[in-house]
Amino acid sequence: MAGGMTMSQGKLLVVEELHKSFGSLEVIKGVSFDMDCKERLVVMGPSGSGKSTLVRCINWIEPPSAGRVTFDGKLVESGKYDIRRLREDIGMVFQQFNVFPHLTALQNVALGPLVVKKTARKAAEAEAMELLAKVGLSHRADYKPGQMSGGEQQRVAIARALAMHPKLMLFDEPTSSIDVELIHEVLDVMVRLAGEGMAMIVVTHEMGFAKEVADRVIFMDQGLIIESGTPSEVFEHPQQERTQSFLSKVLLA
Amino acid sequence: MIKWSIIFDNLPFLVAGAWTTLALTVVSMIFATVAGLLVGLMNMFGGKVIGAITRVYIEAIRGTPALLLILIVYYALPTIGLNLPRFPAAVVSLAVCYAAYIAEVFRAAVESIPKGQSEAAFSLGMNRAQALRHVILPQTFRRVLPPLANEFAALIKDTSLVSVIAMQDLLFNAKIIGARTANFLSPLIGAALIYLIMTTPVMQWSRNLEKKVE
Repeated sequence: MAGGMTMSQGKLLVVEELHKSFGSLEVIKGVSFDMDCKERLVVMGPSGSGKSTLVRCINWIEPPSAGRVTFDGKLVESGKYDIRRLREDIGMVFQQFNVFPHLTALQNVALGPLVVKKTARKAAEAEAMELLAKVGLSHRADYKPGQMSGGEQQRVAIARALAMHPKLMLFDEPTSSIDVELIHEVLDVMVRLAGEGMAMIVVTHEMGFAKEVADRVIFMDQGLIIESGTPSEVFEHPQQERTQSFLSKVLLA
Repeated sequence: MIKWSIIFDNLPFLVAGAWTTLALTVVSMIFATVAGLLVGLMNMFGGKVIGAITRVYIEAIRGTPALLLILIVYYALPTIGLNLPRFPAAVVSLAVCYAAYIAEVFRAAVESIPKGQSEAAFSLGMNRAQALRHVILPQTFRRVLPPLANEFAALIKDTSLVSVIAMQDLLFNAKIIGARTANFLSPLIGAALIYLIMTTPVMQWSRNLEKKVE
């Protein structure tokens, strides 16, 4: 793509013609989009549309099969822009939390800086304490994940990702595994984070969150972006039939 | 018929054998655990060549009798100039044997950790070694203890194989008493009871740990 270099000027993230296959199954069939610093993107789509895989490709948790990813002006390529550096700069929050069960909340949050950035223990733990306060969990610092609710575990996971001072946060269905009455705890933290100017890509079906926070909504189906625009454009005037039928199902649910 | 007096009269001799058995078990187990962890890690993360070599080792050991290995180490290695005294020869053969089983114990434990754990570690920027050391292995530690305790109990019993190279362990001494008193049943029953005294607490401990892990 000739315009690749100019496209990436000033952009936080540029994804070009991304493909991902598992064996003979192609899950992402050529996806391109870009985002500015501080931009908030919500990705929606039916299950199997490839939205989770797309997010997991951005930090190489799933290495893309083809295509280009440029992050912060640097082309991500195995070998060139070190994948590990990329992951330090991109925080990730998982559907299943994936907090470390053998560590306390505080240790969970401090581990990344301690191990990866070689931060001194005192400094790492002091900052971990601040981050736990930020997600409303100061009182759970010495609890292990097994003693916490899903909502609390997910907030620990958010604090753990923030401890690396990422430039972008990826949220892969962050509230799908959480009891309905606790979802707001997690969404509140995410809304506050967005308010502070954190760039984020959020895979979610939470329409309320998307309307409140998203600069742009991307709608995916069968491995392709079929529609994108502001929340009001996509939710109120969907152009594609598949978007309309999906939205009607989500709204009914 | 069992003559309890034979057991009691020769108890110090049986206990001396039991000490050899226990020493052999503990020393072999330490070497086997360290080697098993290394072999298991090499098998999982060492790449294609090392992975294949360790796989051959594990399968070869699991498919042959431990007794054969003891005979090779004690009787066959001297022919190529490697002459080990009895105790080291016994330790080497038992450790080489059990390392293969313990490597599989570690592999099963690592594989039982959900994939999301290493993904979370990688997402923070950790490399594979860091993820292993700080996230995966600490979690396998608890899961590995019950099966390791089981291996320990099995090793207590398998040390009896070294009587074939005339190590004076519990079984060997029991046979000596049998020959001396012309009554094999009594000392062998005595040996059986002493084996049970050693293995039962270990297996019970393993069961308790298993309940705790669940």
